[in-house]
Amino acid sequence: MADLPDHLDLARHRDHAGTAEIVARRVVFALLTALAIAALLTAFGQSPQHSIAAGERAELDVSAPSRVRGGLFFQGRFTIEARGAVENATLVLARGWLESMHINTIEPAPTEEASRDGNLALSFGPLAAGDRFVVYMQFQVNPTNVGRRSADVELYDGDELLVRTDRAITVFP
Amino acid sequence: MDIVVRAILAFVFVLVLTRVMGRRELSSMQPFDLILLIVLGDLIQQGVTQSDYSFTGLLLTGGTFALLTVVVSYVVFRFRRLRSVFEAEPLVLVEDGKIIEGNLRRERMTPEEVAAEARLQQIPSLEGVRWAVLESNGKISFIPR
Repeated sequence: MADLPDHLDLARHRDHAGTAEIVARRVVFALLTALAIAALLTAFGQSPQHSIAAGERAELDVSAPSRVRGGLFFQGRFTIEARGAVENATLVLARGWLESMHINTIEPAPTEEASRDGNLALSFGPLAAGDRFVVYMQFQVNPTNVGRRSADVELYDGDELLVRTDRAITVFP
Repeated sequence: MDIVVRAILAFVFVLVLTRVMGRRELSSMQPFDLILLIVLGDLIQQGVTQSDYSFTGLLLTGGTFALLTVVVSYVVFRFRRLRSVFEAEPLVLVEDGKIIEGNLRRERMTPEEVAAEARLQQIPSLEGVRWAVLESNGKISFIPR
């Protein structure tokens, strides 16, 4: 083709021979669509997930997201239903709740805070049988926090383990 | 370190995004496209700098973006085979006054849009066009018969 403009090749620039551009585009669009659908299904956070553990003397219901993203705020709600008398209800939070997390508030405030084997122990005093005690904690994820960690929650009566929920928290960048 | 990693990932993401969005969307600046690009820029900035308001953060991210821009430009210049990865190839839209429908579909363009572009270049009819080529920058060049 004599009058074809310079540097143009009909096979390549009209008939797309040897180019995989359209396939690559479709693959990327499929990936973007899959990401959006996964996000709609809360794959990247941060709808709350319930974990319930029941024992003879108490039941513990933890409601908090298990997937969060850097910089976002989220709430953890810890509901203790006492089935028997508990002398000193103590929640022990694994390091996933604390590592590079801001704890903005704990309501009601614990009577005592301590470190127990590297985890955070929050004591709230006595509960009578039938009491329902709810603790709200407000968090913010440090933007540089990334990864998956244990977010187990244990309920103790002093040093005696009553119930335990196995959880993990995944922080997306 | 993480701010540079985020800047690199954002750069790659924007590069991929602009390649898959197509040339026309990037070159045609309708009000909606303009707003979309500004919003996109803001989203990218938040993802890269996050809560870093420091001057050091600006130096690191700005420097990384500038460096990567030069690297991509050099790769495109130096390695011919990789050029099509980073830049769209020219695409023939009209040959001898006849529209190549498949290529228009590929770029989500209508014959009316091509005719409008031709009119902007004082070409009243596509009949008088020997070649119309969608260039890498999204503009259409017309070569009359």
